[in-house]
Amino acid sequence: MKRNLLGVIDATTYHDDLEDLITHRSLAALPFAGRYRIIDFVLSNMVNSGIRSVAIFPKMQYRSLMDHLGSGKNWDLNRKSDGLFFFPSPIIDNDGHKIGSFENFGENIDFFYRSTQEYAIISNCYTVFNMNFRPILDWHSRSGCDITEIHHKDGGSMEMYLIKTSLLIKLIETRNETGYTCMKDVVNDLQDLYSVCHYGYDGYAVMIDSIANYFSTSMNLLKLDVWKELFLKDQPIFTKVKDEPPTKYVKGSDVKNAMIANGCIINGTVENSIISRGVKIGKGAVIKNCIIMQKCQIEENCYLDSVILDKDVKVEAGVQLFGTAQSPLVIRKGTKQGALMNS
Amino acid sequence: MAKKKCVAMLLAGGKGSRLNSLTKDLAKPAVPFGGKYRIIDFPLSNCANSNIDTVGVLTQYQPLLLNSYIGIGSAWDLDRKDGGVTVLPPYAESSEVKWYTGTASAIYQNLNYLKQYQPEYVLILSGDHIYKMNYESMLEYHIEKRADVTISLIEVPWNEASRFGIMDTDEDLRIVDFDEKPANPKNNLASMGIYIFSWNILKEYLEMDERNPDSSHDFGKDVIPMLLEENKKLFAYPFKGYWKDVGTVKSLWEANMDLLSEDCDLDLFDHDWRIYSVNPNQPPQYISTDAIVNESLINEGCTIEGEVDKSVLFQGVTVGKGTIIKESVIMPDASIGSNCLIEKAIVQEDVKVPDGTVIRSFDDEIILVTNEMLSGLYPAF
Repeated sequence: MKRNLLGVIDATTYHDDLEDLITHRSLAALPFAGRYRIIDFVLSNMVNSGIRSVAIFPKMQYRSLMDHLGSGKNWDLNRKSDGLFFFPSPIIDNDGHKIGSFENFGENIDFFYRSTQEYAIISNCYTVFNMNFRPILDWHSRSGCDITEIHHKDGGSMEMYLIKTSLLIKLIETRNETGYTCMKDVVNDLQDLYSVCHYGYDGYAVMIDSIANYFSTSMNLLKLDVWKELFLKDQPIFTKVKDEPPTKYVKGSDVKNAMIANGCIINGTVENSIISRGVKIGKGAVIKNCIIMQKCQIEENCYLDSVILDKDVKVEAGVQLFGTAQSPLVIRKGTKQGALMNS
Repeated sequence: MAKKKCVAMLLAGGKGSRLNSLTKDLAKPAVPFGGKYRIIDFPLSNCANSNIDTVGVLTQYQPLLLNSYIGIGSAWDLDRKDGGVTVLPPYAESSEVKWYTGTASAIYQNLNYLKQYQPEYVLILSGDHIYKMNYESMLEYHIEKRADVTISLIEVPWNEASRFGIMDTDEDLRIVDFDEKPANPKNNLASMGIYIFSWNILKEYLEMDERNPDSSHDFGKDVIPMLLEENKKLFAYPFKGYWKDVGTVKSLWEANMDLLSEDCDLDLFDHDWRIYSVNPNQPPQYISTDAIVNESLINEGCTIEGEVDKSVLFQGVTVGKGTIIKESVIMPDASIGSNCLIEKAIVQEDVKVPDGTVIRSFDDEIILVTNEMLSGLYPAF
């Protein structure tokens, strides 16, 4: 008895504490772990849990997210029926009044009417985890609760909710009368109109909501046990594939404790760092405790410690850049760090 | 079906018997190369980069892996509404199953595939070679020379010349003589096995060759000499650049090692001429605190805790603590235990090398490490 589950990803979130990394991209499209975007985790989890229909609700700056997801092919979601649905919000927040996700769902209520899946899982887009939702669906349908909220063993809500699709539709339809703007409002309502149960998850899961926690979560990937819990052979994290060659370690390079994606050419020293696809590191350059995003070029004899380089940053020869573990230095996308500017 | 100016026919049925157990279960074009690729990625990517969007891939020997690898050709952007990739295995007619007995008979048996596209030109390729080449430029040359057939040519070392079809040309590069694998080669200008035929000539001569009971139905041995005899216009198209026929375990190893040298002619990092491949979707490689990596190519999904020196590691390879890998090629998903030494070897796909294994070559031979070989070393394993 296979019950069908509909995937709904709320990608409208904006965290002020991540500003430097998400001014030009949706939080869902935040690069992570060298070759992924944050949304890959929840999206792959949905696909690996047998979900065949996923709706994504982004708000602003969704170009990079759309480019990343494409037709959904990399997640095997380019299907004739069901598959991947992309519903950018037609409404813009006006001053001080944020539009809740129910409003965005409501703009596309026809999609929910047309969905044949009995249950829906509504999830945020910024959690790093590898979880199978199937056991939770079984648990939910046995429990008799109206809504199951997934909680982490450490206590907090993971902002993921299981609900009958028919109830979700009702909540969306009545949003103006009830005042509920999102699932969080429903489960936190003291009136307790609906029975809410908590499902405890004890696997690895981190919600990325600030630069400090983005940085520390990235660094934690360098622990082999965390790496192994996140990247499982039978529950792979899918992402947009690129045709990059293997990474080339040139004579004289020195790499220790690092996670390195494809297409890099490494001449210098790399320690405790995450290096994304297509990065070039020149001779004599030293990269320590850094997150280097796609296609950055770090020229000869640079020294970088505790720095996050966003995509396409060029660091000219000899430049030194420092941040701290608590407050890493973030260099914005596409900028050039010249030797003169630094002096 | 839409008319196509040029259709490519890629001969991918080769056994490559000198590659020993590497080609026991797969055809030579499917042999892994360069940390990520299979040999057939090179001609297919060359087609995609040369704007040739219609490619017939002729398979025969061990086609299972090759068929699923090629799929509908999307990895090379060859999943097209018109044309795209078509896998062409031998087929049965009412009276008999027609195996491909030679390169020419393989194309002859697929003339109907070609006729659908009413091509003006047919590009014939081999799935056995590693190189980057612009076939569009070769086609322009063929048209400019008003040639009937154009054969690409490369200078090879004299001592290897007798392995190839050797050409003699006049100063205008018109081919005056062609010897397939001569015992005493007259020069070192070798055919790369890449031909462009004008369609009418191809059709006429393949039909003629098929009727000849004495023919071995091979382009180099039969069709080209027949065309020369009849004074057709055959031109040589000189190619400069990296080209390697990886016919043996040694040459496969050498070609992998070539990629590690700083001045390698085969640039895999050139974004204007990408070599496409079926991407395995694995996490980034993890290099541990204890690891040492030097002069190597390493693909995604690898976990390195030991030392890797002058080696090529494919996706999903694990290297245990205290292990040293030197001048070796480790194919996809092989796992090398702790405290091993592997030197001058090719470790095959999915092979598990137990802790403490020592494999090294004391002469110039390259050791091929397979599960069968290891079970000989470890009878109880």
